[in-house]
Amino acid sequence: MRSSTLQTLGLGSIIEIFQNGKLPVTAGELVDQVFGKAGNRGALVITGANGIVGAGKTMQLGSRLEPFDIPIIALDFPGVPDGIAKQYPGLVKAFGKGNANKVMGNIIKYSYDGKTLPKALASHNPKFLLEAIPEILEIKKDHYKAFRESFPDIDIWSVTSGFPSSQLGVGIAHPAFPHEVNKIWEIVESTPSSSSKLLWALGLIPMQVSDNWAFVLDVFFCGLTGAAARFNETTNMPYWKIDKYIRKYFGPNPFRAHDAIGAAGANFLTWSCLHHLGQHYGELFTPSDNMNEKKESGSNWYPLDHFRPMVDWSMNEEETAEFDAWILGPLFQMTSLMLHENRSHLSQMNLIGELCAQFRKGVLALIRHYGADAARKIVSDYHKLQPEAAKNAWYPKEFDKIGSPEWQQLYVNAEHDGKVGVISINRESYNHDVNAELNRAIDYLKSAGIENVIITGDFHISTQMVGADTTDFFPAIEDANKGIELSKAWSATARRLHTDFKNSVGFINGKRCLGGFLELMVHCHYLVAEENAALGMPEVTLPVIPGMEGCHWPFRKMQAGNYQNLLKLILSGKSVKAKDAVGWLIDYAGSTEDSIKMALKIASGGDHGIAKRAVNENPISDIPNEIAGLENNEDEILSQARKALLDCIKNSCNATLSDAISIQAKHSGEFMTTKLCKKGVIGSTYTKTWQV
Amino acid sequence: MKLVESMFPFARIPYGTWGSSYFPGWQTSPLAEVNIGQFAGEAMANILGKRKVRRKELEYLVIGSTVPWHWKFWNGPAVASCMGQRIPGFQMEQACATGLSAVIVAGSEVNSKSYDVAGVLTFDRTSDSPVGVFPERRSYRRTEVIADVWDNFGFDPSTGSSMLSTAGMTARKYKIDRAEVDELTYLRYKQYFDTKKSGFLDKCLFSFDVLNVQGRLLGTISEDVGVREISLQTLREQRELDTCITSGTQTHAADGMATLLVSSIEKAKELSTRPEINIEFIAKVDIRTGPGLMPEAPGMAVKKLLDRTGLTLNDMAVVKNHNPFAVNDAIFAKTMNYDWAKMNNTGCSLVWGHPQAPTLTRTLIEALEEAVDLGGGFVLIFGCAAGDVGTAGIFRVS
Repeated sequence: MRSSTLQTLGLGSIIEIFQNGKLPVTAGELVDQVFGKAGNRGALVITGANGIVGAGKTMQLGSRLEPFDIPIIALDFPGVPDGIAKQYPGLVKAFGKGNANKVMGNIIKYSYDGKTLPKALASHNPKFLLEAIPEILEIKKDHYKAFRESFPDIDIWSVTSGFPSSQLGVGIAHPAFPHEVNKIWEIVESTPSSSSKLLWALGLIPMQVSDNWAFVLDVFFCGLTGAAARFNETTNMPYWKIDKYIRKYFGPNPFRAHDAIGAAGANFLTWSCLHHLGQHYGELFTPSDNMNEKKESGSNWYPLDHFRPMVDWSMNEEETAEFDAWILGPLFQMTSLMLHENRSHLSQMNLIGELCAQFRKGVLALIRHYGADAARKIVSDYHKLQPEAAKNAWYPKEFDKIGSPEWQQLYVNAEHDGKVGVISINRESYNHDVNAELNRAIDYLKSAGIENVIITGDFHISTQMVGADTTDFFPAIEDANKGIELSKAWSATARRLHTDFKNSVGFINGKRCLGGFLELMVHCHYLVAEENAALGMPEVTLPVIPGMEGCHWPFRKMQAGNYQNLLKLILSGKSVKAKDAVGWLIDYAGSTEDSIKMALKIASGGDHGIAKRAVNENPISDIPNEIAGLENNEDEILSQARKALLDCIKNSCNATLSDAISIQAKHSGEFMTTKLCKKGVIGSTYTKTWQV
Repeated sequence: MKLVESMFPFARIPYGTWGSSYFPGWQTSPLAEVNIGQFAGEAMANILGKRKVRRKELEYLVIGSTVPWHWKFWNGPAVASCMGQRIPGFQMEQACATGLSAVIVAGSEVNSKSYDVAGVLTFDRTSDSPVGVFPERRSYRRTEVIADVWDNFGFDPSTGSSMLSTAGMTARKYKIDRAEVDELTYLRYKQYFDTKKSGFLDKCLFSFDVLNVQGRLLGTISEDVGVREISLQTLREQRELDTCITSGTQTHAADGMATLLVSSIEKAKELSTRPEINIEFIAKVDIRTGPGLMPEAPGMAVKKLLDRTGLTLNDMAVVKNHNPFAVNDAIFAKTMNYDWAKMNNTGCSLVWGHPQAPTLTRTLIEALEEAVDLGGGFVLIFGCAAGDVGTAGIFRVS
C-alpha cells in the first residue's frame, strides 16, 4: 500500500524479511563495520557524558554494546556532578546487579578541559563520537575540530543539537527523552549509515529525518508548549489547567513534562528551539513573552505546592473552539510545514508524537480524523487570533493528500508478492485507527486476490504488541453502548483474519503480545511466535473484560484438556512464554529466524506439518467453573473481576459462534460502566485525565 | 449632566473589566476554608479571562484587604503571582472604606502616568478569623489575644464601644423609628431579589469552583449564601439588640473578592468591550464624625463631597450606600432629605453581606452597571467604616 519505514533505513521491506527467511542485518555484522572486527575493536566516546542526554545514552548504548566488548569512554569536564553513577539503580532494576556491574565495568571515565583531549584516549582507538555537550555552536565546532585532529577517521554525531547538520558540520541524531529508555532516535543522514542500522540491530528505533531546523519531536513538543503558553497569555487560564485540557483532548501534558524534566534546563531548551525556529520560520514559532520569562527564570510552570490550584477553570463551547484554534491551529500548521519539507516518512512523523510526546493520536492521525477542510479551518481560526503566523510556514495544500495511502495507512501497511500478503502493524497498542486501517489493508489484499496472509509487527517502530489502547475505552466508561459497539467492531475485524483468507498466520516477533492484540492474533488460522515472546491476557488486572472474543474464540480452537491452561492465562493475568504455549494457544515457537521461515512456509502453503485447527462453532458447555492454582484470592477486586470474566467465558462459549460475538461484546461493554472497572486502572486513569 | 472637573482627568475605569465573587455568609462556603489572597488572585485572572482581558495588560496591582491572611506580609506581589502575573503591587486598607479607596489609589497611580493599567483587587475572609497575640506591656495581662474580626467588631479602641452600639446611639440621636427601619429593610431585600431575578447580577458576579488540595471540587461559590427572602412581619417580630437594631436590620459577615481595572484613556478604549462608554473619577472624600456615631458619617461625607463638587443628589443617576445597619439609610435620608426608596436599587451590603474590603468595590461595580443601563450619569457611592468614618465617591458614566 505504501513503503515501509524499514525501507527508509535501507533495510528492505517487511515482506522481504519473510522471503529471505531472516532479518536484514545482524548487530554483529554492523559492530564489525562501525567499530572494527573482534580483537581490534575501537571505542565509543560520549562527551558531556554526565549530562541528562550523555548519561542516558551511556546507559542505553553501554548496555547494548557491552556484549561486543566495545569500551564506552565517558568524557566530561572535571568537577561535573557524576550523572552516570545516578543511573546505576535504574540499570540494576532493568538488568539485575550482575549485568549492571558488567555495563558499568565497561565504562571508562576521563575528564578534559574542553580543548585538549586526554592523551590516554588514543589507546582506546575511538571510532565513534557521540557528542552531548551544551548547544553552543562555537564550543561544539571546537570540540569536533579537536577530535578530528586527533582521530581523522572518527565518525561524529551530535545528540544535543537543534542546528541542522549543514550548520554543524557533523552528523546529527536526536534521541528522545527519557534517554535511558526511549528507543527513538531521529537521525539526519543523506543515506542510512551503518551506525543507524546498528542502532536498529541493537533493538533501538532510528528514524531518518531531513536536515532542517529542529527535529520532528521538537517541532511537535516545543511547538505545542509554545502554543499552550500563548493560550495562557491570551486567556489567563493557568498553565496547570491548560495542561489538563491538553492531556484530556490530545494526550501530552507539556508543562508538567517541563517541570518533571527540570524546568531550568527544559525551559531553556524549548525556548531555544522555538527561538531558532521563529527566526527561520516566523511568528508561528516565536517565543511568547511568558516563554521568554520562563527561560530567564527557569521557574516551574505548575504552582508551588503551597499554592496548589484553588480556582478551577472550565470552558464553554465558544472557549473550547478558541482552545482548539490556539492549540491545534499551530500544531496543524507546523505539520503542514514538515510535510512540505518532506521531513520524514509520514508514519514516523505521526508516531514520533505518540511515542515521544505522549500524543494519544499522532498529529497526522488527528488531522486525518478532522479531514483536510476542517483542519484548514482550524488553522484559519488560529490565524484570526495570531495573524502574523499566517505569513510564513503554512502549506494548506499538503492536506490535499490525505486520501493517499501514506496518509491513510499510518499504522498498518500491506504488501504482497502475488501469492502471499503481509500486513504489518507499527502501533504497539490497538485502537480505532488501527482497526480502520487493518480493515483497509485486508480489503487491499482481497482486491488483489491474495488468499494467504501473514500479520505481524513492523520490525521497526513496534517492538511489541501490548494490547488495546485503553484510552479508546474512556467513552465507554459512562456509556455501555459505546463499549459494546467498540467490542463488536473490533471483533468483526478480527474475524476477517479467519474468514477472509484461506491461510492467515499471526507472527509474534517482539517481546510480548498481550490483551487485545493477542485476541486479534488468535483469530488467524495459525499463530507463530518467537520462542521467548511473552503472551498474556492482563485484562483481569485492570480490570476489564476482553472485548475481542478472547473469552471464547481461543477455547473454540483447543481441546477440552487445555481449557485449564487458557483459563489460568485469562484469570491470573500472568503471561506465558511462547514456547510454553505451543499446542494450545499457538502453533509454533522457535528462534526469530526459524519463526520467520515457518510463518512464510505456512502462508505459502509449504510443507510445514502443522494442522490447521478448526473453530468449534457450536456451544461449549464444559468450561470448568473454577481452576486451581490461582494466587491472590484474598484480593476482593481481583476475585470479583475473575468472577465477571468467568461469567463472560461461560456465557460466550455456551453459545454458537455467530451469537457469541454479541454476548462477549455485551459483557465487555457493560463491565466498563461498573464500579469495579471505574475503581481500576482504566477507570482511575479516565477520572484523572478526562474528568477535568 | 453638569460639567464637573474630574479628580483624575487621565484615568478611566474601562467598562466591563470588572467582576466580583458572590459573597457567601460567614462560615457557609468553601471560601471559609481557603487562603483568600490566593483565591482572590486566581479569581481575578479568571474574571479578566472571561472579560477577554489579558492579565499581562496589568502593570500594577492595588490590593485591599482588612483581615490578615496567610502570607499577608507579601501582599501585592504574592497575590499577583497567584494571578499568574509577576507585577508589583501595593496593599492598602481602612476597614470598609478600603473598597473605594483602593480604586482611588489605582486612579491616582494611573493619573500620575506611572502606569497605563492598574488592577484593583479587594478581598477578605471573615470566616475563621485569625487570632493575633500581641505583647502589650501596658495592659494588665501583658499580652493581648484578639480574634481579628469579632473582637474588633466589638471594641473600638478610640471609644471603647462596639459597632452595634454606634448604630443604636445614632438611631437615638436622630430619633429614627423602628417601623421605618423595618420597612426600609424589607424594601432592600425586595430590591436585591428583584435584581437577582432580572439577571442583572450576572453582569457583575462570577461563579467559582473551588478546589481542595487534592484538586477535587470542594464546592461552588455561586450564591450570596445565607441571604433569604424575609417578610415585613418577620422583621417586625425580631428582638431589638439596640435601638432600631435587630438581626434582620443589620448585615452579616461574609467572604469574597471583587476586582476592577483602572487605566489610561487610550487603554480603556482598548480593554473595554464597549469602548464608547466613558467612566471618569469625579471626587472622593472621607470624614470622621463624633465618637460612637458611625452611621451619620456617610451622610456627612456625601454632603462634603457635594459641597466640593457643586453637585446635588438630584444630579445623581445612581445612589448606593454600604449600609451595615439599615438605620444608616434612614439617617442618610433624614439628614440629606432624600427618599431612601430611590437608592440601592440593585441590592446592598445590608442584604448581601459584609466581607469588608470588597464590599464597596462590589457596590461600585453594581452602581456602574446600573448607570450604564440607565444611559449614563453621575454615580454616588458611599458608606461607613470602622472608627466613625464616612467615605463617599462620585464617578461619571457617559
